Amino acid sequence: MLKQRSFLIETLTALGLILAPFVLPHLGFAPNTVNRILVWGLFGLGFDILFGFTGLLSFGQSAFYGTGGFVAAYLLTRAGFPNVMLALLIGMIAAAVVGYLVGLIALRRTGIYFAMITVAIAEVFFFVEFNPLSGWTGGENGLPGVPTPSFNLGFTTVHFTTGWSLYQFLALCYFVGVVIALRIVRSPVGAILSAIRDNPLRATAVGHNIHGYKLAAFVIAAAYAGFAGGLLGVLQAFMPPDAFTFDTSGQLVMQTAIGGRGTLFGPLVGAAVWLFLQDFLQAAVGLGAAWKLVLGIVFVLLVCFLRRGIVGGLEDLYRKIVGKRSKPSEVSPPAVASSVGAANQPKAAQASTAAPISARARESATRIGPILQATGLTKRYGGLLANSDIDFTVLHGELRGIIGPNGAGKSTFFKMLTCEVPPTSGTIVFEGRDITGTSVTNVCQLGLTKSYQVNQLFTGLTVRENIVIAALAKLRGKFRLDLFRSLDSIPGLNAQVARTLELVNLAARPDTPVSELAYGEKRRLEIGLALATSPSLLLLDEPLAGMSPQERVETVKLLKSISRDRTMIIIDHDMDALFELAERVTVLQEGRVLIEGTPDEIKKSTAVQEAYLGGVQGVLDA
Amino acid sequence: MFNWPNFVSQVFNGLALGALLALISSGLTIIYGTLGVLNLAHGAMFMLGGYAGYAAFQYTGSFIIAVIAGSLFVMVVGVLMERIIIRHFYQRPHEDQLLVTFGIGICFVELVRLVFSSDSKLVPPPPLFQGITSLGFLFYPTYRLAVVGIVAIALGVLFVVLYRTRLGMIVRAGIEDSVMVDSLGINVYRVFMIVFGIGAMAAGFAGIINAPVVSLTPGVGDDILVETFVVVVIGGVGSFPGAILGGLIAGEIISITSIFDPGYAYVMLFAAMTLVLVVRPHGLLGVQGRE
Amino acid sequence: MPAYAEDHPAIGTYPAGSSGPSVFIGISVPRTGTYAVQGEDELKGYELAVEHINSGHELIKKISPKTKKGVLGKEVKYGVADSAAKPNEAVQAQQRFISENKAIVITGGTSSAVAVALNKLAQREKVLFVCGISGSNDTTGKDCVRYGFRQNFYGQTAAAAISPVLIKTFGKNKKAAYLTPDYTYGHTVTKSMQDQLAEAGWTTVTNQVSPLGAPDFSSYLLNVANSGADVLINVNWGHDAVLSIQQAKQFGVLDKMKLVVPYQVPFLARETGGLMQGVYAATDYWWSIEDKYPLAKMFNEAFEKKYNYKPEWGAANAYISFAHWARMVEEAGTFYPPDVIKTYEKEEVIPSLVGDVHYRKEDHQCVRPVIIVKGKEQKDMKGKEDYYDIVEIVPGAGLMQKPDAFGCNLGDYT
Repeated sequence: MLKQRSFLIETLTALGLILAPFVLPHLGFAPNTVNRILVWGLFGLGFDILFGFTGLLSFGQSAFYGTGGFVAAYLLTRAGFPNVMLALLIGMIAAAVVGYLVGLIALRRTGIYFAMITVAIAEVFFFVEFNPLSGWTGGENGLPGVPTPSFNLGFTTVHFTTGWSLYQFLALCYFVGVVIALRIVRSPVGAILSAIRDNPLRATAVGHNIHGYKLAAFVIAAAYAGFAGGLLGVLQAFMPPDAFTFDTSGQLVMQTAIGGRGTLFGPLVGAAVWLFLQDFLQAAVGLGAAWKLVLGIVFVLLVCFLRRGIVGGLEDLYRKIVGKRSKPSEVSPPAVASSVGAANQPKAAQASTAAPISARARESATRIGPILQATGLTKRYGGLLANSDIDFTVLHGELRGIIGPNGAGKSTFFKMLTCEVPPTSGTIVFEGRDITGTSVTNVCQLGLTKSYQVNQLFTGLTVRENIVIAALAKLRGKFRLDLFRSLDSIPGLNAQVARTLELVNLAARPDTPVSELAYGEKRRLEIGLALATSPSLLLLDEPLAGMSPQERVETVKLLKSISRDRTMIIIDHDMDALFELAERVTVLQEGRVLIEGTPDEIKKSTAVQEAYLGGVQGVLDA
Repeated sequence: MFNWPNFVSQVFNGLALGALLALISSGLTIIYGTLGVLNLAHGAMFMLGGYAGYAAFQYTGSFIIAVIAGSLFVMVVGVLMERIIIRHFYQRPHEDQLLVTFGIGICFVELVRLVFSSDSKLVPPPPLFQGITSLGFLFYPTYRLAVVGIVAIALGVLFVVLYRTRLGMIVRAGIEDSVMVDSLGINVYRVFMIVFGIGAMAAGFAGIINAPVVSLTPGVGDDILVETFVVVVIGGVGSFPGAILGGLIAGEIISITSIFDPGYAYVMLFAAMTLVLVVRPHGLLGVQGRE
Repeated sequence: MPAYAEDHPAIGTYPAGSSGPSVFIGISVPRTGTYAVQGEDELKGYELAVEHINSGHELIKKISPKTKKGVLGKEVKYGVADSAAKPNEAVQAQQRFISENKAIVITGGTSSAVAVALNKLAQREKVLFVCGISGSNDTTGKDCVRYGFRQNFYGQTAAAAISPVLIKTFGKNKKAAYLTPDYTYGHTVTKSMQDQLAEAGWTTVTNQVSPLGAPDFSSYLLNVANSGADVLINVNWGHDAVLSIQQAKQFGVLDKMKLVVPYQVPFLARETGGLMQGVYAATDYWWSIEDKYPLAKMFNEAFEKKYNYKPEWGAANAYISFAHWARMVEEAGTFYPPDVIKTYEKEEVIPSLVGDVHYRKEDHQCVRPVIIVKGKEQKDMKGKEDYYDIVEIVPGAGLMQKPDAFGCNLGDYT
């Protein structure tokens, strides 16, 4: 059932590509226009993985399009290389290598910086193409005379020339491109890319090396661009220097946004709209040079009102009509990633309720001695001393509470323990290993993570997908390029996810988008994300914050059951709950440890009472 | 082609080029610093300033009126753009902001092309600054010389606005910590509108001031935009002093490389940017924080 | 339908493109970008030619005596696309015209990079390409094709024509600085000028190569200003020429050295506002030759009546290249491309706006005169479009290099 579903898109794509030559001419599309659309569509497949799925908006894709195109065209024209396909592949590899090097620089920054850097780097390629390398690239003249492909099949030679003949070759390339892209977005890597788009901070915190994955997405996009660039030369018998211009990048971005980002087919649709309007407005309407103004206005309106472009809009419309909002539609590859698991999830969940969350959790429960030891931990922000000389030890299997008035430095303390911020001085030893100064990702991989005070969820994904992201970190390590592996084939993933959903009591709503969850459910999912990484030490930053009394009771129960298998440290302001849960409690005040002891000892401590509300009696007993 | 007179000439030319880049970039950078929006239509606004000034010059024949018209027109365009479109994008992801401003920029360029055609337009320099000035080591167009002074004054005015007024305090505080400004009960949206207007005006002013130097085409802002990116990345995003420093550095790199081979000027410019990114990812005068 | 009755194999868009009552021509000119002004002028020439062909205008009949109305009785229709002077845009547009409209001939240019790309496209698609404006030696040199024809002259010819005038005017052993646009046109024109002038002992002190559409020439011009040159040879074209000349004035370069524009740019005198006064240039056409050439007079009148200005050489070249094509088809009696090509290759002497010309069979280059002009002083101008004096009209035959000197290899007919 599941397999059928996932092959549906491939089948529909193949069907569409086969039918296109019979249908499109009647809609006014010439074969050359269709071929161009396919090249843009293929270029866009990689770009959509980068932009739509990973959230990295690059305005510099022309650099890779041009690189792949010119390497292939150079081989075919000047170097006298006979094999078109091989030249295209070499061009693609060259573009991917260049993409890797550029990515190393561009991905040093994110967001707007990233966009600016990609623009600038693409410009470098443009100028380099025109000046130092013009002997190879022909400079402004480009490289004319690129041949078309032919294949010797032994008994006969297939030669693709122009028009619909070349279409067959391009359609085949596009189909293979789609199949590969679908495999990638359905793979664990694809799932993590979406997580990076939605919440890079949390993707890092659950133990993924997001820099590595971003770089992977960048290289994938560059490879697609390189291959498409090569095809452009084949299509036109001419490799134009225009491939390197900023306009090319801009057009790709606009086409993707018009068609719909994060849909894989968006760029193809966007290119169809673009090229159709270009012809139509210029030829039929007679707008002449004003055609680009009309396209510009259309683009601005789409960005304003139809965020997900044409394909995304149709998808939403389809869901509205069918009324199955949580079910993924058939043409939506991003949703497919969820459907993979969704389809057989209930069964898996039943089968695995009894399964342990991980070997490590069990193991840790049997250990004795300290799991975490912080010595002399100090954090200074400029002149402000957030934490000062904190010594702190937690034993295996313990459930420790931390309280303290606002501004006592509790959250900073947690951030240092999970290595989100480096301490100014002091050391942290986790399970006998000095983790001071390592990254939050590595620490999570070692088995130490936290749930956040303010929800840090992957808001664009469903409940189950959220948990999958976290579980993947544990099962696959922090970085692994299993681009073609199906999520289902990862041993233990479904069991792990099901068990986590059970634990945080969300097993009934696995396919609900995060945006539709109630607040209490989101808090539980927040804890679930941390749990799914199978931590041996789990830090919880105000897990009860903002909950109704009813929700608090449930959550306390939940925390108790979680604590059976692991060591936990909880910060909270709800002292009743904390005293009920914790075996020992540490009180922080003004960045120092005020006192540490059993709940009873804390309750009786006058120092603590003074710290809170200046010693008003009975507050803590109330 | 290296000889000393040429070197001195080019260094001087780099200063003139850098000053202009500094002015345009400072508009881009204060908008970004305050609103968190990178305005990809900034180059188009530079172009708009030139054309609005050109139109005003055609009617009045006065360069002063052209400058005022160019600056005010673009300021109004900036304010309207902020009111009608940009403010709906503060809550949306950066990517959407980039897309929408990119699209608006294209619309501006194509609209101008429709109205004024693609022919190059010329705004003559004001009579006072016409002709050539001999600086001893080189002949330099008097007007270009004046541009250095005019831009310096404009940057000075911007400095006063940013560092000596209440608005400027809010803007700078916003660059440091926008959440805090929000919580101080200041009507940030009004501030945003004003800042967008000022930033746009800086581009528009630069556009009309530059019009007698290079003559106008609808695409005149496109190349400038990419150069301002480099300036801003070198100087540090959101930093006003960074924009000035970055502008001057960029101007000198372009000019000095040109002595040897102008074809490599931009390659060197972008190489410098890459170097800055590797050594100081937040730019020479940038602060950590904003992404 | 005599053209249809013949027994020719199908090739390119033949016979599909010429089996109906009309035939289609694909036109791509720059309507945006650096060369837009020149592109619009060129387009007007094409449009006028089509109008004249369809109506059987007197001027067309002088050039193509067999023409009645249309070409072989078929009405000529055309589509126009903006190439923005970019080869990529032009190739895209023309591929569309060929596949969708079954264009039987394509045209365009204004940038030699475009012309070279369209040359290769024409050869691959087996559709005739008559180029309108292209000044590179390569267009009928190393990048020539069987299916491409060029009417206008080019860098080497311009250099050969103008160099003696320059040497006579400025003397021997001069130092020259060049401003060169960075593509096939610029490189070949500069090279040709350098070669020609070297014979009189001229040296190149600097060659400043700038990209197409450069927004500012100050860096280049400072290098020129400090180079110690006597003559500035500006090879830039379109808006680049306008801008570089204006800025050269601003940087005092024009006071230090003499300006020469080896290949005149349409509307340059108007757009530079007087800076072309006293400047020598080579051009394909200038309207005031009408005193000598009656066909030019007819053309000027028809053009000015329709468009209200005197035609520039872009319009003239566009017009005449269409008119010649119409003649060749009428002479061949068929649209079958190899036959039309062979008619061109007969090297028959045919009329044009600048007297009698012929196309060389070895490289498909039209052998035609070069007109040397010199910018008029303001006081001598007799009208607002009276920008140039005709210095000399140099016959083409003695100027052009041997057909094989630039490595032309035309390729196949089919």
